[in-house]
Amino acid sequence: MIEMRGVTRRFGGVTALRNATFTVRPGEIVALLGPNGAGKTTASRIIGGILGPSEGEAIVDGISVRDDANAVRARCGLVTDQPSLYERMTLRAYLAFFARLFDVDGARERITALARLLLLEDVLDRKLGAFSRGMKQKAAIARALIHDPRVLLLDEPATALDPEMTRTLRDLIVSLRADDRAILLCTHDLDEAQRIADRVVILQRGAIVRIGTPHELRNVGRPRFRLEAEGDVGAAAAAFARAGVSETHEHAGGRLVFRFEADDLRAATPALLRALLDAGIVVLALAPEQLSLEDAYVTIVREARE
Amino acid sequence: MRKAWLIAQREITWELFGDRGSVIRTSLFALLPIFLAVSARGTGGGGQRLDGALLGLALQAAFIPALTGVGLIASTFTAEKENQTLVPLLAAPIGDFDIVAGKLIGMLIPVTATCGASLGVFYVVSGWLYGWGRIARVLPPEIIYALLVVSFLYLLTAGSVALIVAARVRTSRAAQQLAGLVIGLSILVTALLGAGAIALFEGWGLVVLGVVLIALDVVALEIARRAWQRSEVIARI
Repeated sequence: MIEMRGVTRRFGGVTALRNATFTVRPGEIVALLGPNGAGKTTASRIIGGILGPSEGEAIVDGISVRDDANAVRARCGLVTDQPSLYERMTLRAYLAFFARLFDVDGARERITALARLLLLEDVLDRKLGAFSRGMKQKAAIARALIHDPRVLLLDEPATALDPEMTRTLRDLIVSLRADDRAILLCTHDLDEAQRIADRVVILQRGAIVRIGTPHELRNVGRPRFRLEAEGDVGAAAAAFARAGVSETHEHAGGRLVFRFEADDLRAATPALLRALLDAGIVVLALAPEQLSLEDAYVTIVREARE
Repeated sequence: MRKAWLIAQREITWELFGDRGSVIRTSLFALLPIFLAVSARGTGGGGQRLDGALLGLALQAAFIPALTGVGLIASTFTAEKENQTLVPLLAAPIGDFDIVAGKLIGMLIPVTATCGASLGVFYVVSGWLYGWGRIARVLPPEIIYALLVVSFLYLLTAGSVALIVAARVRTSRAAQQLAGLVIGLSILVTALLGAGAIALFEGWGLVVLGVVLIALDVVALEIARRAWQRSEVIARI
């Protein structure tokens, strides 16, 4: 549905996006993660047909942005961090205006249906300037959905929303995926990405540094393990050292919790467990441990920076 | 052009007349020609001096709304940039020229109507104060028509130039300042050209000036169309 093939975008001497290649399939949510200025918004604007690529191809629903940007725009719905509404208009007039811009048939019914979906029925005839921040963002989502787009581009849509509204928005995004839409979510919110994204693309200084499922990204680097034990912390640490395993430890819930990395657990475990038992440590649990997406993200971005 | 009309219609309905403040600001233009008409009373001597004063004031009654309109046109895009409302418009399936034309038409129609209304009020108040016969002699239909056409052409030329320049700035204040510069320079140039044109070829120079103004309009609109590109505008938001 969305295909970015070696897309580069320059603004004067600044390269905002460098040789970006990724896809978003129908019914898939892909999160675009990256620090400020990483090129997330530039990527979403190129896909949305607002910006042309300097090099490469951006293809949406089989149409190249270079060949027919208008047709691409007609297939995309865009929600930005700011609701960006004409505040003097009523919600009904605002949605009707965009319905006409997008040549929507049966606009009246579509407006009513969207207002019902987003719980905005009671405020259809109120001016947008009188809306709360959450309601404004809902109105922006209604605008983006007015033409029932195949592709949704969400550029930090939950910025400045309260937790309840953020959750409502997240549920809505997930429900929209069910209609086989391709959804690109540009976000800083790693928790949100971890919860709803099928795949994650990490950008750093305009270049893609990693693509994968949240699960794959959380397994980045050497395998990590967590060992819970009871006993003397000094003796346990010495046992780790004797087994040649470097660790970090903490006390949690009256237990000792050790974290360590090992390329081959089968090779490392016998010596480690023997050393711990010899030191009189009671081992309660040993299990592989995944990074949180946040830790994985920080690790990946740091590696890319170095 | 259908979508350009749609944008123009929205501008007129919701931005110019969408709230009480806008309506009040626009209605202030009704007061302007009344003051102008009354101020002609200060012209001593009556006769030809009063006729000349009435003609000059009629020109101002038609022209001042047009000058204000140039400022409005200049800030129409920057206001949308400031409020971020331009992004959804740029994301819609509309050609670049339709957006520019829609914005321009959305300002040209109400401002030209205000010019006409202002001149109409001036005509009525002057007729009531100085006699209907005198005002009919000073402002025959062809002069009224000429004043409106000149106001419109000026608005179109200066407005297009202001639009091009203002597309490059980020704030309404900067756009208004640029519009002020365009207005000042354009009045100076128009006045000089007008004076020169009257002196040349027994008044036929005025006709040439009119043709030049129309040609300038076409050129300014073409430059606006080429200069105003989505990619350029979005890069400045």
